[in-house]
Amino acid sequence: MAAATRPRLGVFKLASCDGCQLTLLDCEDELLAVAGAVDIVRFSEASSRPDDGQPFDLTLVEGSVSAPEHVEQIHRLRARSKRLVTIGACANAGGIQALRNWVDAEEVMRVVYARPDYIRSLATSTPISAHVPVDFELRGCPIAREQLLELITAMLTGRRPALRDESVCMECKRRGNVCVTVATGEPCLGPVTHTGCGALCPSYDRGCYGCFGPRERASTGSLASWFLQQGMVPAEALRRFRGINGWSEAFRKESERHER
Amino acid sequence: MLALAHAELGRLFDALHAEGYRVIGPTVRSAAIVYEELDGPADLPVGWTDEQAPGRYRLVRRDDDAAFGYVVGPHTWKAHLFPPRERLFQARRRPDGRVGFDPVLPDEPPTAFLGVRACEVAAMEVQDRVFLEGPHAEPRYAARRRQAFLVGVSCLEAGQLCFCASTSTGPRVDHGVDLAMAELPGAYLFEAGTERGRAVLDRLSARPATAEEHRHLDEGIERARGQMGRTLATDGLPELLFGNLDHPRWAAVAERCLACGNCTSVCPTCFCSSAHEESDLTGDDAARVRTWDSCFSLEHAEIHGVNVRPTVEDRYRQWLTHKVGSWVSQFGVSGCVGCGRCIAWCPVGIDLTEELAAIRADSAAPAPMPVRQAPAAATDDALVPRAAVVIGVTRESADVVTLHLACDPPLALRPGQFTMLSLPGLGEAAISVSGTWGDAFEQTIRDVGAVSGALSALRPGQQLGIRGPYGNGWPLDAARGRPVVVIAGGIGLAPLRGAIRFLLEHPLDYPDVRLVYGTRTPDDILFGHEMLGWASRPGFRMAITVDRADLSWRGDVGVVTRLLRREPLSPEATYLMCGPEVMMRFAVEALTAAGVPSDHLYLAMERHMKCAAGFCGRCQYGPFFVCKDGPIFRHDQVARLFGREGF
Repeated sequence: MAAATRPRLGVFKLASCDGCQLTLLDCEDELLAVAGAVDIVRFSEASSRPDDGQPFDLTLVEGSVSAPEHVEQIHRLRARSKRLVTIGACANAGGIQALRNWVDAEEVMRVVYARPDYIRSLATSTPISAHVPVDFELRGCPIAREQLLELITAMLTGRRPALRDESVCMECKRRGNVCVTVATGEPCLGPVTHTGCGALCPSYDRGCYGCFGPRERASTGSLASWFLQQGMVPAEALRRFRGINGWSEAFRKESERHER
Repeated sequence: MLALAHAELGRLFDALHAEGYRVIGPTVRSAAIVYEELDGPADLPVGWTDEQAPGRYRLVRRDDDAAFGYVVGPHTWKAHLFPPRERLFQARRRPDGRVGFDPVLPDEPPTAFLGVRACEVAAMEVQDRVFLEGPHAEPRYAARRRQAFLVGVSCLEAGQLCFCASTSTGPRVDHGVDLAMAELPGAYLFEAGTERGRAVLDRLSARPATAEEHRHLDEGIERARGQMGRTLATDGLPELLFGNLDHPRWAAVAERCLACGNCTSVCPTCFCSSAHEESDLTGDDAARVRTWDSCFSLEHAEIHGVNVRPTVEDRYRQWLTHKVGSWVSQFGVSGCVGCGRCIAWCPVGIDLTEELAAIRADSAAPAPMPVRQAPAAATDDALVPRAAVVIGVTRESADVVTLHLACDPPLALRPGQFTMLSLPGLGEAAISVSGTWGDAFEQTIRDVGAVSGALSALRPGQQLGIRGPYGNGWPLDAARGRPVVVIAGGIGLAPLRGAIRFLLEHPLDYPDVRLVYGTRTPDDILFGHEMLGWASRPGFRMAITVDRADLSWRGDVGVVTRLLRREPLSPEATYLMCGPEVMMRFAVEALTAAGVPSDHLYLAMERHMKCAAGFCGRCQYGPFFVCKDGPIFRHDQVARLFGREGF
């Protein structure tokens, strides 16, 4: 394909650790094919190519809206993007930095930083969808390489991405894992968590931490009640749901139910 | 019956290996007894048992060296007959528009399943009915099932969640296996069930079992029967459940249910699946991959943007009313074999025996259920497309085209049937046949998504994949000699066009035909030119209404039912309907009010048809699969569910 007709891809970040962008670099075997199929115009983590200011066919954005300049930046990106896909827990749910949404952010800054007057930060960390319309959310902390490739392949071939919204349990069972909750009593967020990780933690006999955020119809209340019946204390139930995706609606409401 | 000492069990492995089988059987892994490949008796869970409760499974030590001293774990044999993830075919699309499809069939070594419980034999026989009975047989399942060598092991102890005594599916393995086995404290007993079982048995050099061993076996079976921790009253369950679709228990259990799909994944009979396209970045080399799905998942009940079972209550009710209810109408047997897995492996411990008992304890009148129809003879692999070629394209409206197609050998089509049209790497859609023309046929497609958009963009000479035809077609014989009223909404006219043509070609049989057609705007009217020809036929009347129009439209604006009521609605007539469900619902109401009997009304139902062959469970509608029992239903067949939400 000639460079002029290749779809233009931009990869950007707001407040984040760069881990989701690294997932694209992590597509080692496929990276050259991707680079051949799309024109990677901007990639903040990997390239210093200057911005030509032209529109993007696909824009991937990681990170939450956490500082005043992020608000402007995301509106500018939205205006330039045919399709805007948010990647990762920060972009989709506010990330771990959204923990400050429950506390007095100024006080935290005073405690943490010697010179808080150097810090320019919003009182809350919020998902991109709270600011601009988003075409697709690619979940995860970080996102899964297979899912990113499927998203790009589906865009290039014109099909609907085969990215399901189902529980982690479905993939866990397809892998033949033994359920850690049932067989050992280890709490697991798999039943209420969006699939995509390939049931990574349960495959190593650990409970799910909910990195991919809530799935549709996440029955968090029933799962939390079961945890409590099995002896979990409310403070721990709160912590389980108030993690990387704590500010997502379903997990936020559940964690708040366990506040004293 | 023959016997071996415990220490001699290695001979069974040696015999199976000598006969060319690899052995899959129980072993301890990740705090459970799972089914994996075994090298010899040392891999068996010797001295272990399982303690089970709702939402709880624990591996515990026994005080003896029993190798089969457990009931069932999280794994099922279905994973080896109907794998969780499987390629169905490879597909290619060349730059010149030609397509090719190569089926992928199983390529596994011969396998022996060691330790198959009686409930698991019953479960295989249930899945046989799903995958092997007609009108289509699943060749991948069939090949694995044929090849699998089954070593059944009777249960002489039952678990807390077992209820095979209630479902009459155990605990004794008395049929359906190559070799039946039982574990007594001092010996293993064997009995061959097939010729190949006898061949393995002959290699064991086993001694005849003693009369005392026979007695111990019988006593053990009786002990297990009495030990079962659960019971289930199975009589009249389908009628009970379909008579209690509004029971408050459904809402109560939905408060607890996580809709996570664990119950369906561990169930040895659940068969629902999904399929998706996989391809490289170019999309030229592609494959269709089938994966286990669940009626608890969002995608399962989706039809382009609409979800027919949005709530957890809808999904749980769907699962349980099917499992122990409509399953009987469909397959002649319950979908529950009493293994208790769905109780143990539910992360919040929901117990179906408890739910069913609660519904039974406080129930409304039972509902009659359809009697199972004998399955048609099974035909060959229905899941792999073949190539069809586009010989012409007619644009019908801004977002609708008709493809004129041909394939070799030609399809035998009845009006009202549908096919599955696909493009490699892009996906597949169920499309109704809108007419035939010699050996060629027409399919009318509305561009609503990626697949239908790409199909709509095809040009003459290009190829596409086709499967089918599927479905039953319009009841043209039943309508002969009577007035026929055709009621169509939007794209719903497409599957009716073939029927209208047929009616008009046989005016002596169908002297009085009336078409009532509603669509969005005048620009969306389909087959306009052809309609002008229909209108000139004696004995044919037609009325069209639109939802909205500008001033240039002189015709009717409003809903189809208003047009319908404009003429007397004869109770003698046959009514053929296809369109949005809400349109059909209002039409049925109007016709019923006019005294038209339920068995004169025919509805084309739409559900998500993914495999179209009755294997994937997506288009389940009460006791029916829309793909093979429909898509056209007589109203009295579906009256109990039609118009209700959540089905």
